Amino acid sequence: MDVIFGAFPFMIDNVGLLLTKTGDHLVISLIPLLAAIILGVPIGIWLGHAHRGEFLAVSVTNIGRALPSLALIAILIGFVGIGMLNAMIALFLLAFPPILSYAFQAVDSIDRDLTRAARGMGMSPGQVLLKVELPLGLPMIIAGIRTSAVLTVSSATIATIAGSGGLGDVILNQVAYGMEGVVAGAIWVAVLAILVDQAFALLLRVSAPAGVKRLQSTNAG
Amino acid sequence: MTQHSTGSSITFDRATKTYPGAATPALDALDLEVAAGELVCLVGPSGGGKTTALQLVNRLVDLTSGDIRIGDRSITDQSAIELRRTIGYAIQQSGLFPHYTVADNIATVPAILGWDKKRIRTRTAELLELVGLSPVETWLPRYPAQLSGGQQQRVGIARALAADPPVMLMDEPFGALDPITRVAVQDEFLAIHRAVGKTTLFVTHDIDEAIKMADRIAILKPGGKLAQFGAPAEVLSNPADDFVAEFLGAERGLKRLALTTVGEIVTAGTTSPEGAGADASITTAGWPDVEATMTLREALSVVSAARAEGAIVHAGGSRLGEVSLHDLIAPPAAGEDREGVRA
Amino acid sequence: MSDFAPPGDPAIPDYGQASDCVINNGAFCTDWFISQWSTVFWPPLLSHIIMVAIAVSIGFVIAFCAGLLAYRKKWLAGPIGMAATFLYTLPPLALFQLLVPFTGLSLLTVEIALVCFTLVIIFQAVLVGLSGVPDDVRRAATGMGLDRNQLLFKVELPLALPSIISGVRIATVLTVSITTIAAFVVDDGLGSPIIKAVSSPFNTQFVGAGALAVLLAFALDGLLVLLGRVLTPWTKARS
Repeated sequence: MDVIFGAFPFMIDNVGLLLTKTGDHLVISLIPLLAAIILGVPIGIWLGHAHRGEFLAVSVTNIGRALPSLALIAILIGFVGIGMLNAMIALFLLAFPPILSYAFQAVDSIDRDLTRAARGMGMSPGQVLLKVELPLGLPMIIAGIRTSAVLTVSSATIATIAGSGGLGDVILNQVAYGMEGVVAGAIWVAVLAILVDQAFALLLRVSAPAGVKRLQSTNAG
Repeated sequence: MTQHSTGSSITFDRATKTYPGAATPALDALDLEVAAGELVCLVGPSGGGKTTALQLVNRLVDLTSGDIRIGDRSITDQSAIELRRTIGYAIQQSGLFPHYTVADNIATVPAILGWDKKRIRTRTAELLELVGLSPVETWLPRYPAQLSGGQQQRVGIARALAADPPVMLMDEPFGALDPITRVAVQDEFLAIHRAVGKTTLFVTHDIDEAIKMADRIAILKPGGKLAQFGAPAEVLSNPADDFVAEFLGAERGLKRLALTTVGEIVTAGTTSPEGAGADASITTAGWPDVEATMTLREALSVVSAARAEGAIVHAGGSRLGEVSLHDLIAPPAAGEDREGVRA
Repeated sequence: MSDFAPPGDPAIPDYGQASDCVINNGAFCTDWFISQWSTVFWPPLLSHIIMVAIAVSIGFVIAFCAGLLAYRKKWLAGPIGMAATFLYTLPPLALFQLLVPFTGLSLLTVEIALVCFTLVIIFQAVLVGLSGVPDDVRRAATGMGLDRNQLLFKVELPLALPSIISGVRIATVLTVSITTIAAFVVDDGLGSPIIKAVSSPFNTQFVGAGALAVLLAFALDGLLVLLGRVLTPWTKARS
């Protein structure tokens, strides 16, 4: 218990260190996340719009969930070596599946009656996508990004074994920082993850088209 | 068949239901008695309170005031759950348990009541035969998802009859079926009712269904008041007020014709092939053929299509006689002599 | 909590005969994998399975009861859901380290954390499953005279099974993955050989262990699918 209390003085004494580590942590998290978004969202939307590739989307999700971040990073050490690149590749591979899966579902699961009505009114496929499918699917796309973001921030703590930096450096280094430091690091990364999650929750609430807000709410949180 | 009861009466005694927050009652002091073994249809427009009336009987909804008795026992005498186990209940989507086989579905209430397995098995087989699903062995292990809508509804009826309740409640049970299946299941149910004689309260919004099925019809109007209660012929001939007349529709005269079959009014003709009677001035040339089992309304339709003055009646291949257009439109009341058309 | 690479380990675990593959640190040396199976891979795999089984079982019991409770008392669904989601959001390593001051570097720490991650998934699966029971089925059951408990055990829970099993599957796969991280707390589970080989780095050891973790996840998922088919025979029946 003393250790927990000891963590707070540690935080105050080492704000600079923790902030630097947090900064690194966010960098190694955000870059793979952005890459996953840039690649995953368009592909997911396109597949969902064409209503194809459901098996692919489901399989990718299953594999992604079964892939332990630790194993992934370790394996990449063999191929890519130590360093930030390793961590980012691993984190990208972990961040990609949820984004693809949710983006696919977001568009694929839109009531066919709605798209049929839109096409019947004379909208081109592109217009259907922009005016109907995307606005209605946006909340679920964001939900996928949210899931992925939390997962990435979480997995980035392990990335330290690849020498990439981040708060994992503190959490796994009791020798250097003492148990108080470890706990302090753990609290920081936990708070970081919660903040990221809540930021996206807010974005989610804002993104749902008025009138559809109740329909498209995602699971708890 | 195993021993069955002819059922108990259902008595509504100033039964009233006002939902919380509503300005007017959904059901307003209903006084109604369904005699033992009778099939009464509750009809009316939506908002008339017919589903409420039904749900009051098995206490899915509770009375605000008044009473309902089954036999001479008030429904409040026992717990709602015990009461429901003594009432057969069939609803529109049949509500069959998707995870139970046909056999298990039918066995639900008997199992809860503690019947032994052998008795349940015998009863289940008996009921499947009754609702027209045989050979029984093919149907017992099936799941509801493997049945058509009509078959599901029949199993639903079998399930409602399973524990041999004295009273049956049916809430628009055939409403979800396509017209062809609906006719078949209606006929089936009428046959069952004739065989088993259970007191049945049947809610429907379809006046034609009510006319076909009911011993007596109870018409409820918006505000939950009873507009009229009587035999179909009576209600159709003498609507109690403007509301009933409007509800029955402008074609109620024709609807009345659906209550009698041609066979009931046909007069025996001579054996001569043209069907000329003793009076040679009657000509039946061009008259279409109708079956004795057809209703007057159906026969009228055939005659009208043929632009004839009457029809020739057959039954099972042999000729029974003929009916004139006049006979079809103004059928003699029971006991009266027929007036023929004389040239 | 020691640093992740125990100091003093040989660069390449040479247990006598080192084949060319091992000497050159190829991507995956099957011969080494097979020969070292019973010492390097099987024990961690076994303890991994046990840790996952304990976590999912306990997590299931807690989340299932919570789900039933929230189904009866609707106002509980929100708070319980939020608490469970909060636990789920925490990075596993952080949760482990936060527990260590209280429960030490022990299996208990690991299990508490692992259980926390299964809760929200199974809780929601239970609620979604129970709410998804068709209205007409519920109405018919109540109208026939089933009491509250009979309705729950004979009708609602069986019909909720597909959703519940789906939730348990997801939770299991997730737990297999997170359990690798448990190796930072106790020298157990498939994470252990991975961590030990990272510093060298000796590919075959962590590729092997990693692959085993993935295969284990799929195997358990497959078993649960089979269990689901056994428990829900009506879902396969089609006219």
